[in-house]
Amino acid sequence: MRKYWIQIVAATVLSVVFIVFPLFLSKGWLHILIVMLFNIIYTIGFWVIMRMGYLSFGHAAYVGIGGYTSAILTTMLNVPVFISIPISGVVAAAIGFGIGKITLQLRGIYFSITVFAFGEVLKTLWLTFNKPFGGPQGIWGIPRPSLFGFKFATHISYYYLILFFFVLVFFFLRSLDRSHFGFTCLGFKTKETELLAQSVGIDTSLYKNISFSISCLIPGMAGALYAHYFNYISPFVFTFALSTDIVVYSMVGGTANIFGPVIGAGILTIASELAFAAGYYRSLLFGVLLLVVILVLPNGLLGLFRKGR
Amino acid sequence: MLGLIYILMSLGLTMLYGIMHIVNFAHGEVYMLGAMGTYFLTVHYKVPYFLALLIVAVASIPFGLVVDRVIFRPIRGKWLQLLVATVGLSMVLQSASWVSFGILDKGVTHPFKFILRFWMATISGERFCAAILGAMLVFCILLLIYRTKLGRAMRAIEEDEGAARLQGVPPNFISAINVSIGFVLASVAGGLMAPVFVVNPGMGFGPLLIAFIVIIIGGLGSIAGCILGGLLVGLIQTVSAVFLGVEITYGLLFALVIIVLIIKPTGLMGHA
Repeated sequence: MRKYWIQIVAATVLSVVFIVFPLFLSKGWLHILIVMLFNIIYTIGFWVIMRMGYLSFGHAAYVGIGGYTSAILTTMLNVPVFISIPISGVVAAAIGFGIGKITLQLRGIYFSITVFAFGEVLKTLWLTFNKPFGGPQGIWGIPRPSLFGFKFATHISYYYLILFFFVLVFFFLRSLDRSHFGFTCLGFKTKETELLAQSVGIDTSLYKNISFSISCLIPGMAGALYAHYFNYISPFVFTFALSTDIVVYSMVGGTANIFGPVIGAGILTIASELAFAAGYYRSLLFGVLLLVVILVLPNGLLGLFRKGR
Repeated sequence: MLGLIYILMSLGLTMLYGIMHIVNFAHGEVYMLGAMGTYFLTVHYKVPYFLALLIVAVASIPFGLVVDRVIFRPIRGKWLQLLVATVGLSMVLQSASWVSFGILDKGVTHPFKFILRFWMATISGERFCAAILGAMLVFCILLLIYRTKLGRAMRAIEEDEGAARLQGVPPNFISAINVSIGFVLASVAGGLMAPVFVVNPGMGFGPLLIAFIVIIIGGLGSIAGCILGGLLVGLIQTVSAVFLGVEITYGLLFALVIIVLIIKPTGLMGHA
């Protein structure tokens, strides 16, 4: 009963902080909060595959697929934004399904490197083909979304849009985590348990492929939202640096449950903005932090709260 | 020519994987530091090119020992932590270099003035020298691995760590030696490539990507596969750059990776 009350109080405090408080914030702070939510969404998408013991080192690729698909659909084919966002998520998920078909048979390091190489190749494709992707200049003039005549032009309206998307994704993934499906996927962490799952009749490769598609779908849609927020995308946004940032967020936060990635991405984004750490200083800070967490706190920040796991 | 540099890079990577199950994302940064060291020694301190290469090679041994002791040893055997730790190391080394060496491209003056002409090809002196030195280095490492007691100990650890330890092979010592050899190979590759390409802190990423492609094609941990893969990738890259254009070379290489993975997931020469 006590725990129940704690949850209600926490939910009220959080909703006040994240719904009411931003109304009084300046544009700069709203921008930081929006970037934070983007990072959190990428990281919880990444976490879907991470919790199965597969470390994806190329998740920026799926963010980029989403962003590029939506940018091309809206600027060249005049598709409405709220239709192109789900489409770009589905495209990212479909490409993820194809990549997963090939790479998910591999375990551990093989998987990580192959996914990493795919991300790099995709980046060179975006860089070299001017025709649909705009080459190194990227794509300009991506419109802001509008719904029933209301245009999400201001920072605060876009913030609520992203917050809504985040809450949707968060509860979807949390229920997935606690569902039968999510529980089964936890069994693929080692080769032995995967064989065990196969031997009781579970189609493990289908489960893994679906998990990977979900973990590409969410960053894909977030990437589309990113493109419509900044009105501009280029290949230099979706680089290996973004992939490693995602890994850093989830490792620092911890991967035992969904709160880890949220805490990690949230705290790190805010902290690096507060420290005015940009560019190389930022990646220096993240690298040092990553090494410290790996060597001192193997379960991330979550490990501080739950000693048992 | 390029193939030999790829072999130098990926030989260190594949040895690290085979013996310690580390995929070293910081390998490109070691390559960069080798090139950077060669640049500073030859341009700022007027050290002769070959002496500079030697100094770089020797200096990377203690560097490898420190990295092994501080980062790799506490988390040995945990592949995920090792992988992420090497990414962290790579971020630290690269961003520290950007901050301290500046963002301008640097060039090492060409150490040789001659140009070789064959039937159709023209090879500049430093490329020729890089190929010869690279081949000699690869040959020495192969001798070390297949003809000495130390090499036998390494191969024993690779085959079965428990059994090797029972025979008295010290794993900490072997891993320290192994990391140092990998670092020496990478930094010498960087030093050899310094006169050919421009030197900047981000230069390690391309060779790292190629080295990954090489060891996936050849099979992780397989030395013969790494040599075969390195030659294959160098050949494909050169030929496709001439006939098809530089842009689609990466796409072609990645297609090769996918084909190899579908047909034989452990690579051409790899074993499960």
